[in-house]
Amino acid sequence: MSVRDLRGGKRYWVFAACLFWLLLTLFPLYWVAITSFKRPIDVVGGPTYLPFIDFQPTLTAWIELFSGIRGEFFSNFWSSAIVATSSSVIATLLGAMAAYALVRFPFKVRLLSGVAFFAVAMGGFLLGRDVLGFNPVTASIIAFCIALALSVFVNRYRLPGPVLGNDDVVFWFVSQRLFPPIVVAFALFLLYTEMGKMGFKMTDTYFGLTLAYVAFSLPIVIWLMRDFFAGLPVDVEEAALVDNVPSWRIFFGIVLPMSKPGLIATFVITLAFVWNEFLFALFLTNSRWQTLPVLVAGQNSQRGDEWWSISAAALVAIIPMVIIAGFLGRMMRSGLLRGAVK
Amino acid sequence: MREDPIKHFFLWPAVLIVLAIAIFPLIYSLANSFMSLRLVPPIPPRFVGFDNYIDLLSNERFWQVVKTTSIIAFTSVALQFVLGFAIALALVKKVPGENFFRVGFLLPMLVTPVAVALVARQILNPTMGPLNQLTTFFGFPNLPFLTDATWALGSLITVEIWQWTPFVILLLLAGLQGLPDDVYEAAELENASPWQQFWGITFPLMLPISAAVIFIRIVESFKIIDTVFVMTGGGPGISTETLSLFAYQEGFKKFNLGYTSSLSFLFLFVVLIISLVYLAVLKPYLEKYK
Repeated sequence: MSVRDLRGGKRYWVFAACLFWLLLTLFPLYWVAITSFKRPIDVVGGPTYLPFIDFQPTLTAWIELFSGIRGEFFSNFWSSAIVATSSSVIATLLGAMAAYALVRFPFKVRLLSGVAFFAVAMGGFLLGRDVLGFNPVTASIIAFCIALALSVFVNRYRLPGPVLGNDDVVFWFVSQRLFPPIVVAFALFLLYTEMGKMGFKMTDTYFGLTLAYVAFSLPIVIWLMRDFFAGLPVDVEEAALVDNVPSWRIFFGIVLPMSKPGLIATFVITLAFVWNEFLFALFLTNSRWQTLPVLVAGQNSQRGDEWWSISAAALVAIIPMVIIAGFLGRMMRSGLLRGAVK
Repeated sequence: MREDPIKHFFLWPAVLIVLAIAIFPLIYSLANSFMSLRLVPPIPPRFVGFDNYIDLLSNERFWQVVKTTSIIAFTSVALQFVLGFAIALALVKKVPGENFFRVGFLLPMLVTPVAVALVARQILNPTMGPLNQLTTFFGFPNLPFLTDATWALGSLITVEIWQWTPFVILLLLAGLQGLPDDVYEAAELENASPWQQFWGITFPLMLPISAAVIFIRIVESFKIIDTVFVMTGGGPGISTETLSLFAYQEGFKKFNLGYTSSLSFLFLFVVLIISLVYLAVLKPYLEKYK
């Protein structure tokens, strides 16, 4: 009991207010759950609230959903699950590696080499496409490689201009979240389509969508994992260094196992983010690898007001996240997310 | 900090992916935004300079869309913050049943936004929705929740608040738990009222994290598309169309590539300006309470 705790009658007022907010929070979820068990007549005839009392529950909507009468729901569920899980795993692993490097090793990037990358990539692309007449993808790949090689090369020389350190690299990663994703989603769609014309099918493929999700999860992963690694004690690693254990073994053998709670939390947050993502899936997929959010969004326009089956479809997207919420709630209590706030 | 060439092996995969998938498309888009470029009907790209930008800036629809997006973002984030702060305070003060509330309150932010929008459409249905029954009871039957411009905007804001207040609660709660107890003990000895304690201690100490939370939420709210896409589709008319939705319509329905690219860059620009103004306004306060 600390001095900040509530005392006396006030506790019950606050409790009542919290209960009210909980009611508001849970009602929509309750509503979608019961609607999926309603018969059409119980939906169209005005709101009904209590199963067995003012409507007779039925499994029709669920049976229709699982038997595949209403389209290939199952295969999209698996596409969603596979894309979400694998991109979260890859993003967590690559992000953890980058975050570790940024916490333990010094990096120096000259601002000028960043500017050089930007200028060469854009100029090279325009030159390749519009002057030399390459197709957009070839022009992009060539411009990208030249720009990258040049900026890495430029970075080795003592050039004027500010030198950026580790914090700036982290900021660069995190600032990706500032950009409206539509800028990139649209450009990526164009590039993927062009690649498709050249024979590398990227739109509506596992590879194309996962790659996009990994790129967009990395900033969050790096941000969360950096704080986690910074909070780890260095002594264990230093002891290992004295024994001449190579850095990669220190990371994979000692640091990663020690960071299991942080990795799990980061993985779960990324998973929720990718599972719910709509915009990229909308642009980059159209049938085979279409994820649940896009499929569910289309329900209303396809079926009008068949709310019972729409609700069942929506619930399939919601339920895995409810499980994750219980999980996150437990982690929150153990104070795991506190580090991420600082 | 130690030196080891292996550091490049750790950092580069992430840098390469972000460069190739996030930064390069950005550059590609920027290059396209100075072009007149169409897929349907296909015409050869032509350099037009700032024409696309000038076109957009003189387009009334663009300004309307910026206004709509700003209204949704600022109103919903302001209310999310006030509500979220109040709830986080209640939780940190150990309201009875606190552990149960925590998990319950967290739920909405994890629910797929598209699914939330579909549930909202059911609840807001003007004839068969439960909300209609409630308002009818108070004497207002069949309110146009999604078919009147003002109501539709209000409905979208309500859904945003429902979905994202949990995020504010989560971060503010973590911040509140980190506040030192001794300051409050001292305040208690001075007989400071809870109201004085809040404005004198809690609020100033929470200012940095509050600023960060509001910033994240505003930036994220400006990206809103899925909820609008499902709930109103931008309608009635274009009265609830947001920036992302506008860009989607232009790009995916009309395939006007150059125009869409410049639109998305203007969007980026709007977000940048808002961020810079926000940080500039807040800086003196943040330094004062450091």
